[in-house]
Amino acid sequence: MATKKPERFDQVDWSELSESGRLDLSINSIGMVITSLPVVLLGLYDWRFIGDRTDTFEFIGLSRNLESLDYFFIFTLLLFFFYLILPLAQNPRMTKYYWKEFKRNRPAVVSLGWLLIVFAGGLLGPLVISAPEQDILIGHQPPVFLSVDAANVANCVGDIVGGQCQGTWEYPLGTTRGGKSVFTSIIYGMTISMQIAFITTTIVAAIGISFGTVSAYAGGWVDEVLMRFVDIILSFPTLLMFLLILYIYGAGLGMFILVFSLFAWGGTARYVRSKSLSVSEEEYIKASRISGASTYRVVRKHVVPNTASSIITQLTLLIPGFLLAEAQLAFLGLGDSNIPSWGQLISAGRSDLAFAPWIVLAPGIVLFLTILAFNFLGDALLDALNPEAEAESE
Amino acid sequence: MSQRHNGGADNPRHLGRREWLSALGIGGIATLSGCVGGEDEEDEAGGDEDRDTYDTAAAASFETLNPIYNTENGAGNAIARALDQGYTFNEDNEVVPLLYDLSTEDGAVWTFEVRDNLEFSDPYGQVTAEDFVYLIQEVHQSDWANSAATINWGGVDVEQTGELEFQATLESPNLLWPETFDPLLYPIPRDLIEPYVEDEDVEGMQQDEELLELTFSGNLGPYVMDEWNRGSGTQYSRNDDYYLQEADDLPDEFDDAPYFEGGSITYLEEQSSRLGALETGEVDSAAIPPERYEEYDNRDDVYVNQVPTPYNTILSVNMRDNGWNTGPGNLFRYKEFRQAVNASISKQELIDGVYRGLAQPHYTWQPRFTDFYPGDDDLPQFGMGDEYGREFARDLAQEAIDQSEYDYEFDGDELVDPDGNQVELDIYHSAGQETSQLTAEFISEEMGENLGIDVNVEAIDGTRFGEEFWTADPAEDGLTDEVNGEEVSWDTDVSPGPNNPGPRSATSNEDWDMSIVYGLNTYPRNPLTNQVFFDGANAQYNPVGYYPEFDAESLFADMRQATDRDELISILEELFINLAEEQPYIMLLFSDDLIGYREGLEGPIENFSNGWDLPVWTYE
Amino acid sequence: MGLGRYITARVAWAAVVSLIIVTITFVLLAAAPNPSIREAATQAALQGGDPAAAAERERELRGLNEPLHVRYLDFLQSVYTLDWGWSQHRSQPVTEALWEGLYYTAQYSIPWTILTVILGPIVGVYSAANMYSWKDHAATGFAFFGYAIPNFFFGIILLLIFGVWLDVIPVVYDTSVPLFSLDNVIQLIIPVFVLVTGSIGATMRVSRNESAEFQNSDFMKTAKAKGVSPLRAYAYHVMRPTLVPLSTTLVGQLLALFLGSSLLVEVVFGIPGLGRLTFDALVAQDTNLVLGATLVFTFIAVVGNLVEDLVFTILDPRISYDDR
Repeated sequence: MATKKPERFDQVDWSELSESGRLDLSINSIGMVITSLPVVLLGLYDWRFIGDRTDTFEFIGLSRNLESLDYFFIFTLLLFFFYLILPLAQNPRMTKYYWKEFKRNRPAVVSLGWLLIVFAGGLLGPLVISAPEQDILIGHQPPVFLSVDAANVANCVGDIVGGQCQGTWEYPLGTTRGGKSVFTSIIYGMTISMQIAFITTTIVAAIGISFGTVSAYAGGWVDEVLMRFVDIILSFPTLLMFLLILYIYGAGLGMFILVFSLFAWGGTARYVRSKSLSVSEEEYIKASRISGASTYRVVRKHVVPNTASSIITQLTLLIPGFLLAEAQLAFLGLGDSNIPSWGQLISAGRSDLAFAPWIVLAPGIVLFLTILAFNFLGDALLDALNPEAEAESE
Repeated sequence: MSQRHNGGADNPRHLGRREWLSALGIGGIATLSGCVGGEDEEDEAGGDEDRDTYDTAAAASFETLNPIYNTENGAGNAIARALDQGYTFNEDNEVVPLLYDLSTEDGAVWTFEVRDNLEFSDPYGQVTAEDFVYLIQEVHQSDWANSAATINWGGVDVEQTGELEFQATLESPNLLWPETFDPLLYPIPRDLIEPYVEDEDVEGMQQDEELLELTFSGNLGPYVMDEWNRGSGTQYSRNDDYYLQEADDLPDEFDDAPYFEGGSITYLEEQSSRLGALETGEVDSAAIPPERYEEYDNRDDVYVNQVPTPYNTILSVNMRDNGWNTGPGNLFRYKEFRQAVNASISKQELIDGVYRGLAQPHYTWQPRFTDFYPGDDDLPQFGMGDEYGREFARDLAQEAIDQSEYDYEFDGDELVDPDGNQVELDIYHSAGQETSQLTAEFISEEMGENLGIDVNVEAIDGTRFGEEFWTADPAEDGLTDEVNGEEVSWDTDVSPGPNNPGPRSATSNEDWDMSIVYGLNTYPRNPLTNQVFFDGANAQYNPVGYYPEFDAESLFADMRQATDRDELISILEELFINLAEEQPYIMLLFSDDLIGYREGLEGPIENFSNGWDLPVWTYE
Repeated sequence: MGLGRYITARVAWAAVVSLIIVTITFVLLAAAPNPSIREAATQAALQGGDPAAAAERERELRGLNEPLHVRYLDFLQSVYTLDWGWSQHRSQPVTEALWEGLYYTAQYSIPWTILTVILGPIVGVYSAANMYSWKDHAATGFAFFGYAIPNFFFGIILLLIFGVWLDVIPVVYDTSVPLFSLDNVIQLIIPVFVLVTGSIGATMRVSRNESAEFQNSDFMKTAKAKGVSPLRAYAYHVMRPTLVPLSTTLVGQLLALFLGSSLLVEVVFGIPGLGRLTFDALVAQDTNLVLGATLVFTFIAVVGNLVEDLVFTILDPRISYDDR
């Protein structure tokens, strides 16, 4: 949100404005650098000094191994914290105002709650619940309170009543064909979904915003070249590209995120460009240019912050697309079957749908709710940031 | 079914088909339903009342229906409805002549006698020996046409000896030549292909409308193909003049065959759609996944046949230099260690858990239902009963370690390498194949528990595995290695090829330890074909770098010289006992085909030859 | 630069973009391993032949032993002469295959597009007229439900319910039913429904938000004061201005859906349309057909973007094309 905007004229930090050096690091950036340094070091350590097969935290006895994706995920979480959460805390007044606006939209509040659950589940779940384990002899257990024809189950964990296998609390949402707990898999799927959401958003935002603002601000032939490049990106057959990479090099979740986010920023760039175009027509931009601010400074300090709110909204609405894309690829059998994503669970259960619908329904509904929540959230942000339409309607 | 479809032969999507054609056998109509890989047979007949058409569903679309070029299983079935091949095998594995009868005195000279009532559609007239001889000599034996059957006719001398008779002379005698499916031919009119042959026009022949639409089929198949819609499937109507109606040497039922007014094959990619269609009666037969066998078997409107198959599920362990990437000294090279791996995996639990009991344990390179199977008493049964378990497996592994120059040892629960780190191996399975994934994860758990090896499960696309892991660029000719105390050269019989690039030092691009991506055919009708796998370290197909420790080459040489069936059987039994001991691939199981049919359909049998008499199938 | 020249330049660029994308596709496919060659080699080796010769024969058969630039030039020439080659995977000419696919795709996408275009704005304006009432929330909820539920997931479930359990629609898509028949309508209802619910959300939201602005405009108040019937007032004073900004986003939205979800829906319902045809061709690495389908899809995407750009430029006078 437009947190960089000074709240009142008399609070404008003139000393900050008069500095034109590029190393004007805010507390946020300093925090960002300080915290990401250990992550980078740990990554280097992992990469250089311990073998592929050794767990990252073996030296302190933890058997959790970090993949490059995890490092990137941590990095994006830090970004998210220092440039979104912290600024909100730094500006309690604005935060309060936004919250008041936001609270009026009850579905959005519920959505935020759900997303926080998914987020917390994704971060903490894997730490408290051990990974879903296969046990082929207990496949197709029904969820608790439900039952299934005993003929479809290899070995029933619960009681068999009248030829029907009963569900147990041990597997609250039942098990897959391989005997993995659906509940645990969904928790682990939250991590994957959050990784997809955060990492793709970061990549798309980074590229899209750079292209959009530079294009809008530079204008002329630069604008022309960049926007024509965006044309190509927008028309690029991403699925084809991904499939070919899959055949030639093999592709996991990391590759999926990379390929799809590298070809998804076209829309964002266009959007940012048009927003920036209108912002840069504003008087205060002209004023700061006249007062001698460098182009970089104007873009960085005025154009980006003032388009930030609409960009965030746009990105929020982009995330469900990625979650869907992952699920769709998994459905087509092209996903990364080593990861416990919701899409993988849906695709694994779809041939058993007729007699074991929980394998598809549980992750399907969670996926549905998550996408729904992102939409409500984006919609609420849109409304909150567009007070005109609202004020008039009352 | 997925196992078959994707792991059936050596390459899931592409190679399986040709394998099927050349070796497994589309005995004409024979494989229509039983031996179909990844292919469901369903008769729809549009509901319960209307049962006068025979309709099935296919899981994948057909690439071509051109009989000269088709190498696919599913398309072979679609062709077979409208066009018979030379002969087939009945439920007793006996040759049943269709278009022609094969006979021989010595196994070297084979006489083909063509039936006298075979007619192509106008204007091509009667089918004569000339059509077949022309097809063999000018297409299959040419160097330009690259037909599917080219590989079957190399070195065979064909000569027309009469209006309806021709002879083939083999380079070396083979009593089981029909069982190799090599002499299986489609009838193709000479006049139709002559223009292409004269111009050596491959594309023209591949794209010929008449060949693709089978419009020349005359009375040569039970049905006439009405339409091939590339997106949805094929439609047939009854062939009233089917030539087998007049055949005296076949059961009487053929006199009125076929019994359906028509039929179709529809593409249905989703398993749930195929089963759904079976339930609603839109189609009356479909492949049933193991976990639903009981459910469908209990239904009133469906019965399920359990058909044993010769396609195995194996754990391939890489004995080449790019295998065993956990440390020095590839332990897979010791047969005791391979036995230990097998003994660490419970076959019974695997069969019960993943296959719900609907699979057969696999001890040696032959399913139990053949004449060549040596009998359980003579075989070690790793992974079953007493020969499964932690102690048993560890003792075997210890024997292997004792032979190794490197200091592997059991440290508590873990098997550790000379540096004291736990042994860690990768296992690859086909991505998107649930059965494959479950099996891999099960193997990983069992090896972890019983052998103390940490096994990582990796999914991989079958095509990529084939390209980068399984096959390799062949090394130059004439490399040698010491096998079993003797020097073996990689150019004696065949040059190094992608599937056996050379000695163990010749490797594929990527390192790999273990894989269950591919299963192989065990060739139950003609086990001699197994020489491609096991005829010495330089056999044609040996991606894993297996060096036999018994004299496999002389066994195969004896077999090729064998003059009667009993002699052949006794040599084969010796071979299979040795293979069971050596475990060139860790043999796990043979999964059964489960095919559900609408109640009342008569004809399906629970036998590998299921479907050979498809024209006489009917509803009660 | 005048409008005419701008449009000319824009159209020319669209042609260049499609050429670039098709070239990239061509290069990607040329770089991909060709399974049929390896298959031939393997087969020869298995049967005791010479694998190298077999691979060479296969390569020659597929015209792959020509140098890359020769193949590329051949390819470009055939693109513009509409001679798109032979589809190895379907054994028919590529253009014929694409027509067949289009025939089935059109059967569900035309009703789908029409319904989305008509229903979306109507529901959106209705929603705006009753903003923050339960009707608005219900409409919003419906829109979001449709948008958020994955199409393939929704499709499978509806197919299970109506096809298998209730047995009111056929499980198997039947290509042999006549185009204009009740059977065809019945088998297309569910796919069209799934697609419409999926796409109506976006259209509805845009029109809701846009029309909210006109809702309280002075001309609307005037119209109401004059006693114009509410229906007429909405149709003339809200719907019309709403459609202008809507049309700029609609094209892009529908295109994205067309490219993405049609494949999944075709797979689920077994419709042999363009999406599945392309996907199957990709999996089978049928180069000619993949290139043909890419051409078609690229053409659609490029033209879509072009139209969107032109409409935007013409309709929004604030963006001048002069200094771009």
